[in-house]
Amino acid sequence: MIIETAKLNLYYGKFQALKNINLQIKRNLITGIIGPSGCGKSTLLRVFNRMNDLIENVRITGSVFFDKEDIYSPLYDIIMLRKRIGMVFQRPNAFPLSVFDNIAYGPRVWGMNDKMVLNEIVERSLTAVDLFNDLKDRLKTSALALSAEKQQRLCIARLLAVEPEVLLMDEPCSALDPIATGKIEELMQELKKRYTIIIVTHNMQQAARIADEVGFMLLGELIEFDSAKKIFTNPRDKRTFDYISGRFG
Amino acid sequence: MDRHFDEELRGVKERLIEMAGMVENSIKDALTALKNKDTESAKKIRNLDHKIDKYEIDIEDMCVELIARHQPVGSDLRFLVGVIKMNNDLERMGDHAVNIADMVKYIEEGAPMNKITTIWSMADIVNEMLKDSVKSFIESDPLRAQKVCERDNTVDDMRNEVIRLLLTYMIEQPKTVNTAISYLLVAKNLERIADLSTNICEDVIYIAQARVIKHHAEERK
Ligand SMILES: Nc1ncnc2c1ncn2[C@@H]1O[C@H](COP(=O)(O)OP(=O)(O)OP(=O)(O)O)[C@@H](O)[C@H]1O
Ligand SMILES: [Mg+2]
Repeated sequence: MIIETAKLNLYYGKFQALKNINLQIKRNLITGIIGPSGCGKSTLLRVFNRMNDLIENVRITGSVFFDKEDIYSPLYDIIMLRKRIGMVFQRPNAFPLSVFDNIAYGPRVWGMNDKMVLNEIVERSLTAVDLFNDLKDRLKTSALALSAEKQQRLCIARLLAVEPEVLLMDEPCSALDPIATGKIEELMQELKKRYTIIIVTHNMQQAARIADEVGFMLLGELIEFDSAKKIFTNPRDKRTFDYISGRFG
Repeated sequence: MDRHFDEELRGVKERLIEMAGMVENSIKDALTALKNKDTESAKKIRNLDHKIDKYEIDIEDMCVELIARHQPVGSDLRFLVGVIKMNNDLERMGDHAVNIADMVKYIEEGAPMNKITTIWSMADIVNEMLKDSVKSFIESDPLRAQKVCERDNTVDDMRNEVIRLLLTYMIEQPKTVNTAISYLLVAKNLERIADLSTNICEDVIYIAQARVIKHHAEERK
């Protein structure tokens, strides 16, 4: 178990967006979070690296453990938390910098200025997302000139550069076409050997294809959490079945 | 691009091949037991059959999961549908091997009777058909599969000959009826194994070429 929540509730002002969430994320697996729009998927994902702290009027009760430590305890080091648990967004958010500087950004923030080491980090990170051979002669070009899929890969590489343990992905493929989506999914299968991945997706088929475990959320509640096999062949809750079979309305 | 899914499909194929190997062995063992009138082997063959049954459940489970999670199309879908059917057919073959092994006891206890060499030639052909059908699956070779199907008629003819022979023996020496019926059941089980091998080949052809050859479906179009 790498992440665990206990009786987690989250309120945006008076509105309760997460209701008594108890879930356990296992190391080196891909965990998929599915559910209709507005059910709280992104909110839940942001809880894991305390991104909700940046939003006003957010109140959280219950606990969230990362590596057995409660990340909402007052003394917890949030900066370190966000290094260890990185986030990939819906739209690739490459910085308007060169490919090299995008990847080197995180390590530099963490005080790494040794050119040799940075070269090595850039090569390793780009290799991990299968971009190095393609870009090794274009490290100085702007990241924004890359295709959407490559920018998304680059954003993942940028996270890997600071050696995180968990990758949070919020709809990482929704801006990509099916071929590019397939490639990112293959990449995730590779990455899970070394990282824990939590992915939020609208695309049920995507969760079915790549996730080992799946949580189904509805109106802020975690309705069901189980192996992808169980969820997609024999879900326990009728609401899960209605959703994954497209009967939801 | 090799998909992660391809790896999972290969896993299913490997599992089915392992199961087919066990089925081949259990049929071979049953026939050897019959030849040597060895009544001890039945238990071993029954145990192997339990293992085969477990494989069947396991493989079906894998296929259902892959269909649910990957929503396969085209040859991927045909492969999984084909595997589900072959899986069933192989499991049935295992049962036929047990049936044959069970006959040994009755033949041993019954009145001795003249040799029925046709049954042994039949057994050889059936063994070959099964081996070739599995090989056609392993190598995804529809041509080899087609050839297996063509041998099915030979087996049917042999079974008829065995029945004719056994009838003659029973009429000539009524005390051999018990033994003769046991041999008859052996022939019937062998013939079913040949049919199931043919089914496997039909599925290999379906997977490779999307052609349905069973029940002479194409000729009738
Ligand atoms: N900053 C905010 N302030 C107030 N309410 C919010 C805020 N962010 C989200 N919400 C509400 O909380 C609920 C959950 O939102 P969230 O973005 O987590 O849903 P989601 O499952 O990710 O939806 P989608 O699939 O559309 O991305 C929604 O009802 C949303 O309107
Ligand atoms: Mg969202």
